Amino acid sequence: MILGKGGRAGSVVIVLFLGIAAVFTLFPIYMGLLNSLKTEGDMLNGILSIPSRLEFGNYADAFRKIHYWRSLGNTAEVAAIGLAGIILFASMAGYKLSRSTGRLSNAIFLVFVLSMLIPFHSIMITLTRISRSLDVQGSTWGLGFIYIGLGVSFAIFLYHGFVKSIPRELDEAAVIDGCGDFRLFFVVIFPLLLPVTATTAILNLLWMWNDFLLPLLMLTNSKSYTLLISTNMLFGEYGNNDWSAILASLVLAMLPVIVFYLLLQKYILHGIAEGAVKG
Amino acid sequence: MKKASYLVLVLAMLLSVLSACSSGNKNNNGDPSNEASPGASSAEPSKSAEPASQEPAKQVKLKVFLTLPRFKDQFDAYFEQFKAKELKEKNIDVTIDLEMPNSDQAKQILQTRLASNDAPDVFAIHANDIPAYYDAGYLEDLSSQPAVGKLFDSVKQTVAYDGKVPALPLESLSWGYLYNKKIFADNGITPPQTLDEMKAATEKLKAAGIPAFELAFQESWVPQLMTALSLGGIVNSQQTDWIDRMNKGEGSYADVSGIFDIIDLINANGSAKPFEVSSAAGATDFANGKAAMWVQGPWMAESIQKANPSMEFGVAPLPVSNDPKGTMINLSSSTSIAVSPTSKNKDVAFDLLNYLLDDQASSAFFEELKFNPISSIHTYKSFPWVDEAMTYVSQGKAYQDLKLPNGVTDEQAKLLQGYYTKKVTKEQFIKDMDKTWANAIKAAAGGK
Amino acid sequence: MTWTKKTKQTVILLAFAFPALLFYAVFVLAPAFGGVGYSMTDWNGLNPAYSRVGFANYVEALTDDSYFIDAILFTLKYVVCMVVLQNAIAIGLAVLIESRRRTKSLFRTIFFMPNMISLIIGGFMWLFIFTKVLPDIAAHTGLRFLDQSWIGDPTYSFIAILILSLWGGVGYLMVIYVAALQGIPSHLKESAAIDGANAWQSFRYVTLPMIYPAVTIGIFLTLNSSFKVFEAVYSLTGGGPGRATQVIALNIFEEAFANSNRYGYASAKAIILFLIVMLITVVQLRVMKNREVEA
Repeated sequence: MILGKGGRAGSVVIVLFLGIAAVFTLFPIYMGLLNSLKTEGDMLNGILSIPSRLEFGNYADAFRKIHYWRSLGNTAEVAAIGLAGIILFASMAGYKLSRSTGRLSNAIFLVFVLSMLIPFHSIMITLTRISRSLDVQGSTWGLGFIYIGLGVSFAIFLYHGFVKSIPRELDEAAVIDGCGDFRLFFVVIFPLLLPVTATTAILNLLWMWNDFLLPLLMLTNSKSYTLLISTNMLFGEYGNNDWSAILASLVLAMLPVIVFYLLLQKYILHGIAEGAVKG
Repeated sequence: MKKASYLVLVLAMLLSVLSACSSGNKNNNGDPSNEASPGASSAEPSKSAEPASQEPAKQVKLKVFLTLPRFKDQFDAYFEQFKAKELKEKNIDVTIDLEMPNSDQAKQILQTRLASNDAPDVFAIHANDIPAYYDAGYLEDLSSQPAVGKLFDSVKQTVAYDGKVPALPLESLSWGYLYNKKIFADNGITPPQTLDEMKAATEKLKAAGIPAFELAFQESWVPQLMTALSLGGIVNSQQTDWIDRMNKGEGSYADVSGIFDIIDLINANGSAKPFEVSSAAGATDFANGKAAMWVQGPWMAESIQKANPSMEFGVAPLPVSNDPKGTMINLSSSTSIAVSPTSKNKDVAFDLLNYLLDDQASSAFFEELKFNPISSIHTYKSFPWVDEAMTYVSQGKAYQDLKLPNGVTDEQAKLLQGYYTKKVTKEQFIKDMDKTWANAIKAAAGGK
Repeated sequence: MTWTKKTKQTVILLAFAFPALLFYAVFVLAPAFGGVGYSMTDWNGLNPAYSRVGFANYVEALTDDSYFIDAILFTLKYVVCMVVLQNAIAIGLAVLIESRRRTKSLFRTIFFMPNMISLIIGGFMWLFIFTKVLPDIAAHTGLRFLDQSWIGDPTYSFIAILILSLWGGVGYLMVIYVAALQGIPSHLKESAAIDGANAWQSFRYVTLPMIYPAVTIGIFLTLNSSFKVFEAVYSLTGGGPGRATQVIALNIFEEAFANSNRYGYASAKAIILFLIVMLITVVQLRVMKNREVEA
């Protein structure tokens, strides 16, 4: 409606334009999928054409070469540890920092918020050194821990803002009922934080799932490679040569996020808009 | 119910924090065992549980770090043989924790481990890095090891440093550029011995519509091979004291600017879109006759013959000037095996090292990898391209690969990519390389 | 000894904040301060020993390191293009899909999808498009301009990097702009239409002013992310050929982890990147504050 009454012709032009943009957007994904189902020879005969017969061998190959289940499991493990820690710790801290009014609480909150300015590239060199001396380098759980450290500040910021919308009277009533601080938080408050928890979970999950540089620096053992790192290593080995196997591995690597996206699209788009406006 | 599950969650998180701290402490105390495989730590109980009929085997765990992931299966199998032998002869039950990262990243990973006192017991390095690593104290002297005694003298020279042998070479190379024998024969070309002959050859090829040189510049180490050969030829035929002068800060790349003659010729007569061609794709192209020559070593033999089994290629020295004396084969070692001085199981590490040149097993292993023979125990028939290179070597037309300071070759590699795109001029190349060299000398001196 | 109410409150506050603070201190604060410390040393990856060199690293980076300066300039060029193109395209798409009723959610789903995919994966797929598909299309259709050395020629590889970044990033901003558009009261547009405003006028004088806050957000999000660009360049060109497409983050990465292993020197560059990003944020906060006052 924003463009007013452009009439039938205007409408067609708009749909046509959007259609072209959509084709452009989907083109690389489509080409990747299409050619991952061709044999090398089939691909040379015509990159744009439909495969003469579906070749699933590339997928079997890619499955093995990137150790798909292991890599997927590692990625999930890292994300699960990171997510559990971020949500638990950030909700606790965000709640209490939001409720307290003292100078100490303000100072702590400020420290968290200010760090959101620090680009990852500025701390990565020293971070690798510290991680090594703490022996968290190289393992999936260690990587999860690092994500907790990197992710809490933004999550605290989100929780801090949201808690303000929960009436204080609730706390007070619970305290009168004889609820301790921790019980009050976990029983009464935490369930009320569900909307912001969902946003936090989605934003952090996407970030950890698609993050590349940190695992590249941290995971020195090939047994703990995440999906992205395995794919990158495969690419490094086969370079610009054996595209059909590479494309199959790319399709496999993006499959989980695409499924996740199509299933939970509504929440994801909402979470993205929320997070961006708050940040 | 809800309460309980929250509590469990909190407890789990706290416990994991605590366990992280404790495992961190353990390793700070210098315990080298790796928690990834519990084999070593459970050694004590299993010892007592074993029947006493025979003295229980001593458990030893080695951390081994190699490059060349394409040979993982072969190395796995070879190490199994070693384990059997060690158990039978010395009653030592060896567990090998083998890591073979992508060669792009191997050096980075290794250097961070070495710098943080987390050195693997046995590890692979490039022979050119020996001086830097030896000076930093990361390499054990291997001079007295039997395996080193078995090496050909010419091979031993490529890894000797400061009167010691700090690493055992696996890949010993005699190389120049590769050429397609069929294309050369069809066009009546024999390997040119001077720059002018090379120019004439490229003209002939141009007339025949075949690109003279395969250019596969996506990975920067490939264009760098052009400097490895041209610098080697110029320095060894015209400027033998150049490296010394550079190290003293008295030389300059301007003194050897002749290297650009052949580089310009190659760049001007190469295949199209070189930055979209990886070394693997280059091997496929070259194998299928898409270009007549390729500045590459015979270490690509396996990839080339896989792409086209009937391909016949030769190895010839690259002309760098009109003085045929400068047209020489480069003798060098690349992948070499070192032992860490901090290894807790140095004896077993030495055993493993020596097993690489085992009198019985080694020959078949090296043949399978298509490596050049490096010792008289290697009795397999050598490959035709090795023989061809050797004819030049036997005429004295060969030199030992130049020993450049750490980081210099990497910089040459980057600059050559830029030089091809004309983003980097000759003058800039010379200026930047002089600076890089000076920095490398400064860094090496600072560490001593 | 009995606790006063205030002490007890403080203890509880700390108990709630402690786990977060612990992880944060170890993995963010310590590296940040450590990085500042290391940036004044000649520490390299090979030798465990190092000595203090004061600000020499900073001086070298800013006066004597043409690669770093080139990387900064290249990044600036990239940032300017991204800020303009990404926001313009995102606003355009947002306005167009908001004008649809039935196809709205379909298009939104499609345009946001690349944002879900890692730029490493997306980059490799685009590499396939640039090196294999486009030359093939050119050969079959005669659209010769498609057959370029997209990766090997610095001019074209800059465009290739932009295309990849826009492909991956536009959807994110579009979602923000869509949310902003939905916040515009419909009576405003209706009255504009009654006043005889055409589509462009309605957009220019009603829509755009109403989404200014979102535009500010969009510009600064793009500024922030594109100064830190890494993956798009890493996956597509690796900074090459040579260093023709090297961005700041990649320059730091290479300095530290690839060739020279000069950790101390790379740390100094990392701090310089931090200062640049901080400067932008300070400006951002200023601008936002002023807008709030105006509004």
